[in-house]
Amino acid sequence: MTKNILLKYACFGAIMAMLGTGCKKLIDDAYTNPNADVEQPIETLLPNMISNLVNSYTANGTNYGTVVDNYYIGRYIQYWCANANGNQYDKMGGATGSSDIMGNMWAAHYYGMGQNLNKVILWGTEQKKWDYVGVAYALRAWGWLSLTDQYGEVVLKEAFNTSRDQFDYDSQAEVYDTVRAVAFRALSYLDMTGDNVSAANLAKGDAYLFNGDVNKWKKFVYGVLARSYNHLSNKSGYQPDSVIKYADLAMSSNEDNAVYTVANETTSATKNYFGPFRANIGSLVQGEFITNLLSGNNTVFGVADPRAYYLIRENFNGTFKGIRPNYGATGTTGLDTADLPRNYWGGQYSSSKSLDPRYLYADDSPWPVMTATEMQFMKAEAAYRKGDKATALIAYTNGISLSMDMMYNYPNNIPAGKAMTATAKANYMANAAVVPTSAANLTLTQIMLQKYIALYCFGVSETWVDMRRFHYTDTDPATGAQVYAGWTPLSAADLYINNNQKLVYRCRPRYNSEYLYNIPALTALGALEVDYHTKECWFSQQ
Amino acid sequence: MRKIAGMLIVLLLSSLLQSFGQTAPVTGTVLAEDGKTPLIGVTVVNATTKKGTQTDASGHYTIAAEKGQQLVFSYIGYGILRLNAGDAAKVVMKPSNGELGEVVVTAMDIKRNARELGYSVQRVSGEEIAATQRENFVNALQGRVAGVTITPTTGQAGSGSSIVLRGFNSLSLSNQPLFVVDGIIVDNQTLNQTSNGGAGIGLVSDMANKNSDYTNRAADINPADIASITVLKGPEATALYGSQASSGAIVITTKRSKGNGIHVSYDNSFRTQKITRFNKVTNAYNSGTDGVYANIFQAGSGTFFGPKYSDTTKLYDNVHNFFRTGFTQSHNLGVDFGVKNSGFRFSASYINQDGVIPNNNYKKLNLRLSNSTKIGKYVEITPSFSIINSVNNKPLRGAGGYLLDLYLWPSDHDIHDWQDSVGGKATLVPNNSPNAELDNPVFSVNRNLSQDKNNRYIATLGININPFPWLSLAGRFGYDTYHTDGYMLYNRDSYNVTAAQKGALENYYLKYWSYNHTITATATKTYKKFNGRLMIGTMWQDNETGMYAVRGTNLTDPMGTDSSNTDPTTRTRLLRNAKGEYNMSINRNIAYFGEAAIGYNDLAFVSFTHRFETTSIMPAASRNYNYPGISASFIPSEVIPGMKESKVFSYWKLRASMASTARLSDPYANQSVFVNNLASGGGYAYGYTNANPNLKPERQKTYEIGTEFRMFDGRINAEVSYYNTLVKDQIAQGFRASYATGFILNTMNAASTRNKGIEAMISTSPIRKKDFGWDLTLNFNKMWNEVLSIPSTLTEYYIADTWVYANARGGLLRGGSTTTITGYHYSRNNKGDILINPLTGLPVIDNTFGVIGDRNPDFTLGINNTLRYKKWSLSFLWDLKVGGDVFDATDMFLTVQGKGIKTADRENARVIKGVLNDGLQNTEKPTENNIVVLPYRQQAYYTNMPEEEFLQKDVNWFRLRDLTISYNFGKWKKISNIGAFATFNDLVLITNYRGADPVSNGNTSANKGVGGFGFDYGNLPAPVSANFGLRVSF
Repeated sequence: MTKNILLKYACFGAIMAMLGTGCKKLIDDAYTNPNADVEQPIETLLPNMISNLVNSYTANGTNYGTVVDNYYIGRYIQYWCANANGNQYDKMGGATGSSDIMGNMWAAHYYGMGQNLNKVILWGTEQKKWDYVGVAYALRAWGWLSLTDQYGEVVLKEAFNTSRDQFDYDSQAEVYDTVRAVAFRALSYLDMTGDNVSAANLAKGDAYLFNGDVNKWKKFVYGVLARSYNHLSNKSGYQPDSVIKYADLAMSSNEDNAVYTVANETTSATKNYFGPFRANIGSLVQGEFITNLLSGNNTVFGVADPRAYYLIRENFNGTFKGIRPNYGATGTTGLDTADLPRNYWGGQYSSSKSLDPRYLYADDSPWPVMTATEMQFMKAEAAYRKGDKATALIAYTNGISLSMDMMYNYPNNIPAGKAMTATAKANYMANAAVVPTSAANLTLTQIMLQKYIALYCFGVSETWVDMRRFHYTDTDPATGAQVYAGWTPLSAADLYINNNQKLVYRCRPRYNSEYLYNIPALTALGALEVDYHTKECWFSQQ
Repeated sequence: MRKIAGMLIVLLLSSLLQSFGQTAPVTGTVLAEDGKTPLIGVTVVNATTKKGTQTDASGHYTIAAEKGQQLVFSYIGYGILRLNAGDAAKVVMKPSNGELGEVVVTAMDIKRNARELGYSVQRVSGEEIAATQRENFVNALQGRVAGVTITPTTGQAGSGSSIVLRGFNSLSLSNQPLFVVDGIIVDNQTLNQTSNGGAGIGLVSDMANKNSDYTNRAADINPADIASITVLKGPEATALYGSQASSGAIVITTKRSKGNGIHVSYDNSFRTQKITRFNKVTNAYNSGTDGVYANIFQAGSGTFFGPKYSDTTKLYDNVHNFFRTGFTQSHNLGVDFGVKNSGFRFSASYINQDGVIPNNNYKKLNLRLSNSTKIGKYVEITPSFSIINSVNNKPLRGAGGYLLDLYLWPSDHDIHDWQDSVGGKATLVPNNSPNAELDNPVFSVNRNLSQDKNNRYIATLGININPFPWLSLAGRFGYDTYHTDGYMLYNRDSYNVTAAQKGALENYYLKYWSYNHTITATATKTYKKFNGRLMIGTMWQDNETGMYAVRGTNLTDPMGTDSSNTDPTTRTRLLRNAKGEYNMSINRNIAYFGEAAIGYNDLAFVSFTHRFETTSIMPAASRNYNYPGISASFIPSEVIPGMKESKVFSYWKLRASMASTARLSDPYANQSVFVNNLASGGGYAYGYTNANPNLKPERQKTYEIGTEFRMFDGRINAEVSYYNTLVKDQIAQGFRASYATGFILNTMNAASTRNKGIEAMISTSPIRKKDFGWDLTLNFNKMWNEVLSIPSTLTEYYIADTWVYANARGGLLRGGSTTTITGYHYSRNNKGDILINPLTGLPVIDNTFGVIGDRNPDFTLGINNTLRYKKWSLSFLWDLKVGGDVFDATDMFLTVQGKGIKTADRENARVIKGVLNDGLQNTEKPTENNIVVLPYRQQAYYTNMPEEEFLQKDVNWFRLRDLTISYNFGKWKKISNIGAFATFNDLVLITNYRGADPVSNGNTSANKGVGGFGFDYGNLPAPVSANFGLRVSF
């Protein structure tokens, strides 16, 4: 071979190499899907994630979040009942058959926030938007806690692996550890400044919760931490000081509250789920227990509560009456027709609407997700358990006061003379049965019942955690009386047949996720048993 | 990129021309007995210097020799030839022993001696294809190649066809082969109606592929241009083409100029078509319920369960009155002319086909110019350019289409009374909204219009450079581009739209653009008894499909087909169209490959291949992959003493090959997309689908073993192959799993299948006389397949498009066959007796999807006869299929409406055989059913029948696909040859199938996976065709 020929071959080789390099770029260029968006600014992903705290609505799936599940869980704790007899959930039944009922928190955590949240972390890190990363972790911490409190054991370690088709469940203890780890990670990112951290930019995605206020997000995370310690009150390792510490760091005024606002535009997607436009809660009526607490019929407080005109609804006689679960049909309530409670939109005892919805029952009502009043009650309980009754009383008093003040934010349609005023509030709180004059007289019952009232409607999940901690009917060792005084559990005969005469302690995981496609894991867990929903969660066990 | 490729060619050309131009060796061409066909791989040795070479793809050789020296030509199957160097410019070699030195075109347009190949290839000549007169040449392959399954969508003009070689390997990706013309990849897409919510290439209406039909684009190829087709089914054969050929390759060689002078040929064909096969129906009963008259016309079920028509009622034979006699004319012109070193071929072909369905028309015009030019001593270029125009006016099919409505039409009503006084749709029930009633079939074909117009251009360039006797370089460069302009119009009175919609119109514009090239360098070396060959190459492919689609309602003009005819506020578009851009699907691949082959003494051959691919479809982490292949062949007849000379058993070859390959998903299947957040704050959230970023290509491993032999002086040639394919890591798309993936629907590498089969091909020449000959070829195929795994979350995996009617679909179960049909079935006790509801006397239906049938046939056999007597010739192809089930959804649809033939004896009371579902059904003594049912008064007998009842087991057919009789008049005056022929298609069908035609496809050829064959729902059977034509050449 001549030198000339060798040169030709060298040329050939060089050209092949050039072709290869050129082609590589063309191949890289062709990878990304040009038709649909495979990447979006993280600012545009946050609104949906936040909506999953309450109720989501996207082109691919709606109603993930807490509010729809709480529509059912609210009956377990007797916040409300169905206006018909024998309702499965009034009877503390779990979801059955192919129903996804009470599976919306599952969907919110894994799918609604799910990979969207992972992408905010990934892209937020790349873009050095540490505030967004922190917010994403904050929501993830909230998600894990809310998820495990509702379902018990959940998929933790294998979650979000897009290449698995079976997922093992992990213990609730591990999920609790993760909640705190993720919460601390959230705090460390929320503490970061500089780079592309910007309140104005965070506000773009956060317009409907904190409007970009990182400090409020931190308080939100502290609130999650406070909850995570508070829920373990039955455990030997219970740390009341941690509850107090994080409750103090969390929201302390109603301005700090995590309240999800809605745009209330023409479409139902932008309206409050409990409002008349969406017409979801027409057949719900107030429970007898809450009504007695607010009307003064419950002997613990024994006075009319000015919040009654907000939280529940007076009947056509102008009085407050509630319904016993499982006995909601007009003929079996034991009430005269005019005493029958109206529904939450002021309609008659049916699904009908009036046009004067109050409080959280209007189309545009901002929905509290986590509030300062809750923090105060957690602190009160922890201090009380610790024996620091003086601190407990202060926190307890603050809790009531904050709860009453929240009413000022919902002035619409309150009958004349019934609106919350400083006087009404002061009168109520001046009652020694409500606020004991001496810290020594404070009882666990008072704390838990005032918390029950303060979290009415929006705080179903947290109240259910509380009631499960007290196994619904536990007694206060100090008084020997039932902590939730006046709360009547269902009789064995009134419980749903699948319950095997036991009270409800958890929701089953979402049917269309787990009961169709993750059977081996459910079998291992015992979740295929018909009374799985009566199995007590780890958090409330001693 | 393209510029660089162009530069490369120029550089190669110029440099090689310069550097090798000075030497002056002896050159020549070695041709076969016919004096035309070049022989490749002929060993040429200078007897003096003992140096040797081999002929190249064009039969050329170049060897250093001085005048007077002797050259020795030797070639397998041919006698040895010794010639003086001065006389060796044109060498014609004669076969010895009747053995043909068959040359086949394999992957990369490489011509190889069949003897070397370690895998099965089968060839079909262009004449044979063209003689069938089928516009879509794909349809001509059924029965002619072992292991090929062709499923045309319908018998309408312009129908698409799907083609599968050796069964189904992938559950959710395409199983169709790659089409290669003269070494260039040519597209065979079928328009896919599914756009995945507007994110893909499909229609805005995002429909399953079942209610219309689209031509598969390989049908654009003019059958008259085809010189031969090589079907590469095996693993090794396609290992070099890579992932896109993992389901095999159809390698087409086109006709080229024959040389100097002008040759003109013309042929035509005139065809009539008639539909002769229909579903059996009963027209005896009026509308009503349980034997009581009611003036109803239901869409879903239960229309014709009223009383019998009175004897005086005038009944119409609507089904026969609807169809027309189809007529087709086609003209083919071929002009061949050559000057010096350059030969040209121009061809033109025109087809105009009026189908048997009124308003159904398919027109196609093909123009092609090809050239082959020698430049200097070492370079040959073969460019070509083709223009193909087609227009297809087609009716709607399947649900909502004309055919089901035709069968269903009340027989006391003439379908030709389809218009009301103002030209709108006449309703059967007075004052009904026209939209509430099914469409009169005549209305349907005249008012629901659909059309595809396609313009396609294919430009190719082949370059062969043979600078040294031992080295050849080949380049194949091709552009393939087309655009399809189509619409689908639902008249405002149609049942398929609501009254409020006031008609619907979808317009779409698809553009396809592709460039691909393959460049190879091949070196050969002979050392003593060893022949070595080394090939390296690269392939580049850029396929881009763009789609623009808009759908709107509220038509200003009920027959206007322009999108401006819709109300602008109702228009919806594909996602990217909203930005004024095409939705795109881009697929780019680059590959480097090599092959090393060693032959020993022309009796043993081994070849190794390896291919390295990079694809744009996969993410960077899994973008690069490679796979090997190995094949070997051995000719025992060369070493067994006396065998080669034996008249009885003269040739025996053993072969084996093994290869892996990969299969790719559609582009973007690994990128999840965002959808709108509608809640406060807007923005986006991920959609349902986990388009998994960790996706990898499917991995396919195949091995094949086979043998070939020749007996009785070549009168019997036979070959048998066994193949076994394992496909792992199959990409399962859109299946549900735990939400813990972060999504609802998932895409994962989570399925595997095994597919194996036996193919046998026997060709015999029982009679070989001067004036009389008879050739008989048999193509046998038997396949087994098994689903080894599907995603663990699922009990059944199915392609949604196959769910064409009621509750039966192409569902697959772990451990089952890949071709099963799942559906609702009878509930049975543990002895298998049907359970009967003790209250009604009717069967209890199990409303869950269980396997009810398997579409895989026991075997198929193509029997191809060619008889020649003097100037007459007769050829006919029988296609036999034994076994395999068909779901006769048409019959089910008609039965639940009281039209199916099952309902004809409704007035006979009966007791359904079974046991009562009374609690004793699983005991030793179940209660025998004795409840009398009179279906006439209890229509639920028919309307509640489960899908299982309509699954026809073990459907056989014996079909005379094509029969051609021709006469050659010979020479007349200046005309060198005149011939006349008559060809009949689908003339005879002998079948135990009770529906119209067991060849059926519920979907179009765009469907993926196993597809919709064996689902007969509103399918028009293939009509019987008679073609007559003349053929002349000058």
